Amino acid sequence: MNKEETILKLKAIIKPFVNNEEAFENMSETTDFITDLNINSANIVDIILDVEEAFAITIDNQSMEKMLTINATLEVIETKLAENDRK
Amino acid sequence: MIGNDIVDLESALTESNWKRKGYLNKIFTKNEQLLILKSNYPDIMVWNLWSKKEASYKIYNQITGNRIYNPLQFECFDSEQYIGIVKNNGVSYYTRTEINSLYIHTISVLNLDDFEKIRFEDRNSEIIKINGIPFLKNRDKNVLNPISISNHGRFEKIVSLLQTQSTF
Repeated sequence: MNKEETILKLKAIIKPFVNNEEAFENMSETTDFITDLNINSANIVDIILDVEEAFAITIDNQSMEKMLTINATLEVIETKLAENDRK
Repeated sequence: MIGNDIVDLESALTESNWKRKGYLNKIFTKNEQLLILKSNYPDIMVWNLWSKKEASYKIYNQITGNRIYNPLQFECFDSEQYIGIVKNNGVSYYTRTEINSLYIHTISVLNLDDFEKIRFEDRNSEIIKINGIPFLKNRDKNVLNPISISNHGRFEKIVSLLQTQSTF
């Protein structure tokens, strides 16, 4: 999976929880889930669970801690996918 | 420092499904999960614990400047009491939680005495940010009072902590 595919998949996961459509349309890698997209913090868990399912990865707490931006989330996905490949 | 968090119970019901597989494990410790599962009102207990964690995390964020997503690291104690404790990495936060049929509201502070110094503010309050931390400017007394703003669904709460010493 290349980066574009990952981003598309991630965007589809995030979409239902977004409360600022304009920020979603103008999304960049530095976009923040809470301060930019106004996602309710209780829904970040849903995003994390959806990411786990969609990419068949397990996200530990240390990784979850960073997942507040698109960039950080992409990094976690890449790292976990690479770990899966090594198994 | 002061943190607060409000949960609109009607919104929470439609926005979140905490019964979803894996959900509780990601944000609640084993003891907290037990409290939820044993409760006669598990929905209320979920958002009660959540608001305590969030309100306390807001103080953590103000002090450290770090933004993290790790609700598991903020563990609630005495959660069924009006005054509870949240612990994170050896730091204790004291919480006061109001629960009614419409919302759950928690205020978190670092000292028990601070509960005597809490004021509820409105939208017209003069709020300034210093290094991203919000303060309420009290011109009469030349002080900056730490403030915390929380909104969810139909509700908004703004609380400040009264300071007696001159801070500007």
